Amino acid sequence: MRKLYMLLISLFVLFLLAACDEGDDASSGGDNASSDGEIVLDLWHFDPGARMEVYQEAVDRFEEKHENVKVNVLQIPNDDYKQRVVVAMSGGNPPDVFASWGGGWLEEFVDSNKIKDLTNEDIDYDRFIDVAVKNSTFDDKVYGLPLGIATYSFYYNKEIFAEHNLEVPETYDEFLNVVDVLKENDVYPLALANQPKWPGAFYLMYFADRLGGEDVFQSAYRRTGGGFDDDAYVQAGEYIQDLVERDAFNPGFNGIPYDSGQGRQLMYTGEAAMMLMTSGFVNNVREEFPEFEEKMGVFGFPVIEEGNGDPSNISAGVSPVWSIYEETDQSELAVELIDELTSVETAQGYVDKSSTPVAVKGVELKDEYVSIFTEWINKANSIQFPYDQTLPPELGELHKNTTFDLFGLEVTPEEAAESMEAEAKKIFGE
Amino acid sequence: MAINNDMILLEEQKKRTRNKSLTILLFLLPSLLVYLAFILYPILATFNYSLYDWNGMGDKVFIGLENFTTLLSDSTFWTALKNNLYLVLVSVFVQVPFGLIMAIVLLSKIRGKKVLNVIYFLPYLMSSVAIGLLWVFMYDPVKGPINQFLNIFGIESVHWLASSNMAIIAVLIVLVWQFAPFYMILFKASLVGIPEEQYEAAEIDGANGIQQFFYITLPSLMPTIVSSSILAVVGSLKTFDMFFIMLGGGSGSATEILGTYMYRQSFINFNMGYGSTIASMMFILALLSTVIILFTDNNRQKRSGLK
Repeated sequence: MRKLYMLLISLFVLFLLAACDEGDDASSGGDNASSDGEIVLDLWHFDPGARMEVYQEAVDRFEEKHENVKVNVLQIPNDDYKQRVVVAMSGGNPPDVFASWGGGWLEEFVDSNKIKDLTNEDIDYDRFIDVAVKNSTFDDKVYGLPLGIATYSFYYNKEIFAEHNLEVPETYDEFLNVVDVLKENDVYPLALANQPKWPGAFYLMYFADRLGGEDVFQSAYRRTGGGFDDDAYVQAGEYIQDLVERDAFNPGFNGIPYDSGQGRQLMYTGEAAMMLMTSGFVNNVREEFPEFEEKMGVFGFPVIEEGNGDPSNISAGVSPVWSIYEETDQSELAVELIDELTSVETAQGYVDKSSTPVAVKGVELKDEYVSIFTEWINKANSIQFPYDQTLPPELGELHKNTTFDLFGLEVTPEEAAESMEAEAKKIFGE
Repeated sequence: MAINNDMILLEEQKKRTRNKSLTILLFLLPSLLVYLAFILYPILATFNYSLYDWNGMGDKVFIGLENFTTLLSDSTFWTALKNNLYLVLVSVFVQVPFGLIMAIVLLSKIRGKKVLNVIYFLPYLMSSVAIGLLWVFMYDPVKGPINQFLNIFGIESVHWLASSNMAIIAVLIVLVWQFAPFYMILFKASLVGIPEEQYEAAEIDGANGIQQFFYITLPSLMPTIVSSSILAVVGSLKTFDMFFIMLGGGSGSATEILGTYMYRQSFINFNMGYGSTIASMMFILALLSTVIILFTDNNRQKRSGLK
């Protein structure tokens, strides 16, 4: 009898293991054909609202051209998105086409041979802004097509500025003067919701760029002589802590999440006068508090006179970047789909609805903000993409953590720079 | 003859027990299958992954116990573990007693018990995401009700979620608020089960309320206290959601807990192997503490002659 139990149990265990193994095999690769011969493509992205509509319109156009093809669009919120894609790529059922931010995150998938090389596909690369395509080019091969470029700049409240006879600061000294005057008049000079860490990281990026120029990051990242312990980084940390010590920010900024909107509320209510944010802020204003738009103005990051950076340099993030899963059964269709998702027509919709410039040339600019942002991009001597999206994920994460701690006055600029460089050495193997 | 008869009877009995166990086993099979597939297999797989250098997609490189040795010299791991230990202490020594007090209040002879019952239990019914967001607004450094309340008494605003020490305390307060009702329910159930006669007898013997509590209520509740403690310890070792929601997955490494650190390593930093090592460590720690609690309780029962 006991033998029978053992037999039963081992049979079930065997069955189970077999089932697990089978699961692993069956789930890789897209099972694109559904029962009635219709071809199905899965598309994942992370943008809600107006941008989601723009992608849907592009998908509709694509489906019209291909009668027998259906595209399943799945929008997954930002925080969840990265995890879902990693899990899908590692064993689940990855989407045929998906959005990312290019940079180090995408490169991680490229290194694991999960992303299709688009270099020699039938795509008109001339329509893209070069620097944006570089963001998804690794070893001279293109792995993603960019659509939007969100520029990072200061938004300010014109009413408050007029009330205190302040002018838009062009140099950093003028900027500090604005901060001091606002402070004296009990207005928070700068609104900051730094819990997700990227809003604060914008300051570090801009300071390092204005102080040392774009080469500081490039030579640290490409390991061509520079490092993340460069003087410019130490100084950038000092500038950040100087602002914190001046009480330039709203109190408790390191504990305020960005998405829940408390940071933006400070701007809307006039409690804070300026905010360094992505171009997506314009859309937030229009959706959340349209009355604010008439008071709102924008200006680029001020020039630091003793720094070496080109004042036309801007920081911006490319998003979305459309890529294709390497082992998709429908690679031709997928290429056509991402071609449509980055077509001039799609880009036009994106510009009109999202207040964000595009990486595609030949669109008509109707929105005043997009016109300003696009001019900055066109004039820029160099565009700095956010570190956390460019660097290998581990280093990007450390960059956000050390910058967060700089804002919290929990580390010194030297310590932050040194721990970045130590990790960089470990990752790049030097 | 008699012996033979007995033998046959014994045989029959044995057969019947066998048949019974077979039926039991068959009934257990479906749940056993689910258990094997969704609990045991993932645990074993996690231990397996923890031996590899793996980004979650590409080739796995077997590196033996290297992940574990790295983990033991990883300062973030120790910070996370320390934070988890705070969590364990608060769960066992604040959450569980709070639950007990609430249960006793609800079973005492006071007015408005029904209202209190609802109020006490409400936090446990809400989803963690909703609670997290709610408290983020409560803790807002400028407009949060908590700081405004403090300001009335002339106390300066506290930047609850901004500094790492304060942030942990802030989240712990929320966790106590959220989970104390769960222990309250457990205690309520076992308080009802204590025979009324014991209290009556104690009263006749002249025991006052406090004596009754320490000599009747508390000893009778011991099994519940032990199981609550196990739940509290294991629960706080593997917790994730509230820290992730309120602190954005560990604001700076100072507020990292094991759960968020595992998440960050596995899904953000592409270190699936290392993340699995952290998960395995969490499993080992939870198992160890459960064994220790059960062992101590066993000793206690032996000493007091219950076994």
